[in-house]
Amino acid sequence: MTVIARGWNRLTLPGKIIFLAVPLLIALTVGLVATIVLLGPWLLDVLANNLPIVRFVIAATVVLLMTVPTAFLIIYMEMKVIALMNLRIGPDRVGPFGSLLSVVHGLKVLMKEDFTPTGADPLVFTWAPVVVYLASVMSLLVIPFAPGLFGQDFNLGLLYFFAVGGLAVVGLLMAGWSSFNKYSLLGGLRSAAQIISYEIPLTLSVVGLILLAGTMSLNQIVLNQAGWFTDWYVFQQPLGALIFFIAATAEANRTPFDLTEADSEIVAGFATEYSGMRFGFFFFAEYVNVFIISALLVTLFFGGWNAPFDWPWPLELHIDPASLGVGLLLVVAFVPLALTLAFAAPFWLASRRIKGWQALVLGFVLANLFIGALLFAWAYLGLDWVAGIVWFLLKTYVFVFTFVWMRGTLPRVRIDQLMGFAWKWLLPASLLNLFVTAAAIIVVRS
Amino acid sequence: MTFVPGLGIVKGMALTLRRFFEPKVTVMYPEVRLDVPHKFRGRLQLLYDEWGTLKCETCFQCAQACPIECIDMGGIDTRGRYHVHWGAPETYGERREESALRRSGRPVPDPAYRPFEPVDLAAVDAILEAHDHDPARMLEILEATQTAYGYLPVAALKRISHQTGAWYAMIYGTASYYGHLRFEPAEAVDQAAAVDAHRPNETAYLATLEAALGGVSGTATGARRPS
Repeated sequence: MTVIARGWNRLTLPGKIIFLAVPLLIALTVGLVATIVLLGPWLLDVLANNLPIVRFVIAATVVLLMTVPTAFLIIYMEMKVIALMNLRIGPDRVGPFGSLLSVVHGLKVLMKEDFTPTGADPLVFTWAPVVVYLASVMSLLVIPFAPGLFGQDFNLGLLYFFAVGGLAVVGLLMAGWSSFNKYSLLGGLRSAAQIISYEIPLTLSVVGLILLAGTMSLNQIVLNQAGWFTDWYVFQQPLGALIFFIAATAEANRTPFDLTEADSEIVAGFATEYSGMRFGFFFFAEYVNVFIISALLVTLFFGGWNAPFDWPWPLELHIDPASLGVGLLLVVAFVPLALTLAFAAPFWLASRRIKGWQALVLGFVLANLFIGALLFAWAYLGLDWVAGIVWFLLKTYVFVFTFVWMRGTLPRVRIDQLMGFAWKWLLPASLLNLFVTAAAIIVVRS
Repeated sequence: MTFVPGLGIVKGMALTLRRFFEPKVTVMYPEVRLDVPHKFRGRLQLLYDEWGTLKCETCFQCAQACPIECIDMGGIDTRGRYHVHWGAPETYGERREESALRRSGRPVPDPAYRPFEPVDLAAVDAILEAHDHDPARMLEILEATQTAYGYLPVAALKRISHQTGAWYAMIYGTASYYGHLRFEPAEAVDQAAAVDAHRPNETAYLATLEAALGGVSGTATGARRPS
């Protein structure tokens, strides 16, 4: 036996793996560095020449990553708000006030078996949740979150939104058809019927708004609503906003129109045969849809990222931290300490029962809150997009709350009531809205 | 009221929103436990040991110790020899006393022993008649009884219980709750006061103690507590 073979045999299993992995890692690192050095300038050049594509890829990634915490937040909100409305306490074990419970749900779904039934079409079966989820994520791309903070300022944004949002139906039909289960197929057809029926009043309800705005770019629609809250389109299109709200509820499969995948019913519609993370994607897409629908409602009718008031005295802030020079270092080093002591002193002096360290902890927390509030105020006043995203998310979550609130209140409708309402009431109402708006525009502008 | 479309939805939404802000009564049980009334003694129940046999040895100590005689028990003793019972004397009285005492090994007491002093109950009957035998007016009945006898004899309380239908335990609870009702004659209370009066002078003793130790009795001395 050679020396090398003896040495190799003496190594434990982890040792063997590391012995093989280390050279591989070194080779990969060297290769990466060499690629950057050799191809870096050329790569940067290519990226700079294709900036729109780079921007699109980055935006898609960011939006994709953003949907996960959003879905977690809305799931938690739904659990907690409905519990409070039922006079229960709701989740309160994991994390502060149970706020991490939806994360735990996500992890649980990840660990479950991902089951494919015998006779299912594996390709279609696997891709159906992806299509549904991607339809949600891609429609987020055109929504303007704040001035300058959107995936793409697209002059056909609204049309794109409805087109891509309609892709979800394809995913649902794929899921229902490929499951090799007649109940799934029926569920898929039922949800397709519902969503296609409600797509018509949903789209028609915003046509009046498009006539008013003269554009289909969501960014431009938001810009048109700048100023006081009376400039929002909801006051010019109240019927349109109402129809949009109702149709959007059905479009997002929310109560009272949640027949496609009702939680309290045993057979889960098109998702009957799904388990594990594939089901998780359907579930996530549903909650992302709630966010998207609320965001679109805010964008179209409630002023988007505009504040509800037009502050008549713009505050000019000219703070340049760099002008302090070395002083900046001193400020960063000593101001938190001084503020902590300053906030701790009153507690320490006020009562002998508060011990020194307790006062210091209180002072530290209060000083952090104070500094955080100052920084937030500075960002709000100084940065356009911070103020925009604050107002946008605030309004959006008001509507998310409304959807959850409706789920806590309203009973589910029957399928014939659902379809009858769409075709007999919403469609004529949206046509009426369109004609009245068009007539008003002709009268006013001529 | 006329039918307004959508009014039901608005009403329902308002209801859920009110519920949303209502305080919740849920108690986080294992971590948080509610206070119980100070006279609550828990639920009476017999426990089983790990072999599934009753832990109770029918010793009657619980029934004897119960101040308001709410414990009423019966059964077979641990060797299966005697039926024993502690409760209504008209059914099991003789047998339970004899059997219980026999298995506990204690001497059987004189059957002439009276658990409470018999008193003339004519006054109680008159009071009950005047108060209509109404258990809701228990406090008045008890006060009148105390005026008649000077205290509340156990025999009188049992009579009140029998005539009004109120549980003896509840009458006892009512009587023991109020400070001005007493279960002993006033002489006994006076006697206790007389015994008290013969105790050494506490004030002088405390003064000596305070002078020796410094400070005032019943107040903090002002020394810093160790921190």
